Amino acid sequence: MSEHLAYSEPEKIKSIDAEFLSGHRFPYQEDISLVEDVDLDAATPGDDINWLEDVELLSEDGTPAVFDRYSNSFLKIYFPIPAGRENEIARKVLITHLQSGNSYGIRLKETHCKFPQPELGPWVAGSRTVGSEWKPPVLEGWEAPLH
Amino acid sequence: MAALAGEHSISYDARGLAEPDAAVPKVSEISGTSAEFDAHDLSTRQINLELRWLIYEQGVTDVTVRNPGAKHSLGVGILSRCKITFDGSLGYFGCGIIDGPEVHVKGRVGWSACENMMSGVVVIDGNAGSLTGAAMRGGDLVVKGRVGARSGIDQKGGTIIVLGSAGSMNGFMMQRGRQIICGDVGHGLGDSMYDGTIYVGGKVRSLGIDCVPGEWTDADTEFVERKFRIYGLGGPPQLQKFVCGKKLYNYDNLEPSERKLVL
Repeated sequence: MSEHLAYSEPEKIKSIDAEFLSGHRFPYQEDISLVEDVDLDAATPGDDINWLEDVELLSEDGTPAVFDRYSNSFLKIYFPIPAGRENEIARKVLITHLQSGNSYGIRLKETHCKFPQPELGPWVAGSRTVGSEWKPPVLEGWEAPLH
Repeated sequence: MAALAGEHSISYDARGLAEPDAAVPKVSEISGTSAEFDAHDLSTRQINLELRWLIYEQGVTDVTVRNPGAKHSLGVGILSRCKITFDGSLGYFGCGIIDGPEVHVKGRVGWSACENMMSGVVVIDGNAGSLTGAAMRGGDLVVKGRVGARSGIDQKGGTIIVLGSAGSMNGFMMQRGRQIICGDVGHGLGDSMYDGTIYVGGKVRSLGIDCVPGEWTDADTEFVERKFRIYGLGGPPQLQKFVCGKKLYNYDNLEPSERKLVL
């Protein structure tokens, strides 16, 4: 998990990663065999890797990591990455994370999305629709001001 | 005039909003996983509701929209893998904030097509207005005609391919991604860009602040040839590459005199 956490005022959380958001680490962060078979072309629209063209292996807290734009957090990679395959492996780990529904942004959808949409986005065919029953949250004991 | 008849049949509420009730028209002809409907007499909201109903609830993966009538904001917010064909032109903000669809527009589009697009493929047979691909995050946007000014403004990813020419200030404040413009471009190309790459096949009227020629590499050749091959665009023209000079990256930290030198 990120080492830059502090909850007491005035210090704020400086950085968050996928493990902090979910509370645990995922197997595909530690085992390359779990991502080797991912077909990046099939996982993305069109006949190319599409938006993954912009996804590269980065580093967070000194650990190789890929950025998950759907939760605005880094997903660290703990297994050795073969030389010359850095971006490919980063993309495969990210797609596995998104397709499994573990991205924190996806987990928030059921409760918070206001419009109907597929829970697992465009990465998994036939994903169930969430957001059809959204109602504004009510803060108990709060009343709107008169003005 | 036929198109106007459709607009006249739309009712507006006191705030000027069309179709305040969110009833799905359900007018499509559905055949398996394909569907088709005529948008002539439908409002923007009805068309988008119909699209979402088909794609999210009916399991349709291939939709054809006839007579889109250049209405604004069509095909927005589609967050699923599917194919959508607009058999005509779109107005402004067409196909905005999409994530996944492969869209074919058999006509022209107005301003800000594919604004904030996350992923997917959009192919536009005709011209596109200004701000095409504004704030685009990912995916491929192919315009077979020309584009207006400030296309790819604030672009944060993805690829914009333009077979024709482009207006002024293309790639303004671009932060990531790529543009391939086969024709001429107007003044201020890549003005204040932070990152990303712009390839130009024609003449450049002038470069914007901190946009400089880049060094061509094998990766550029591979990328351009791959995109042209995938979209059946033939052989790419001779292209010049432009990137960010990165002199403005931290200009707030520079002394005012140094900033003047940069500018």
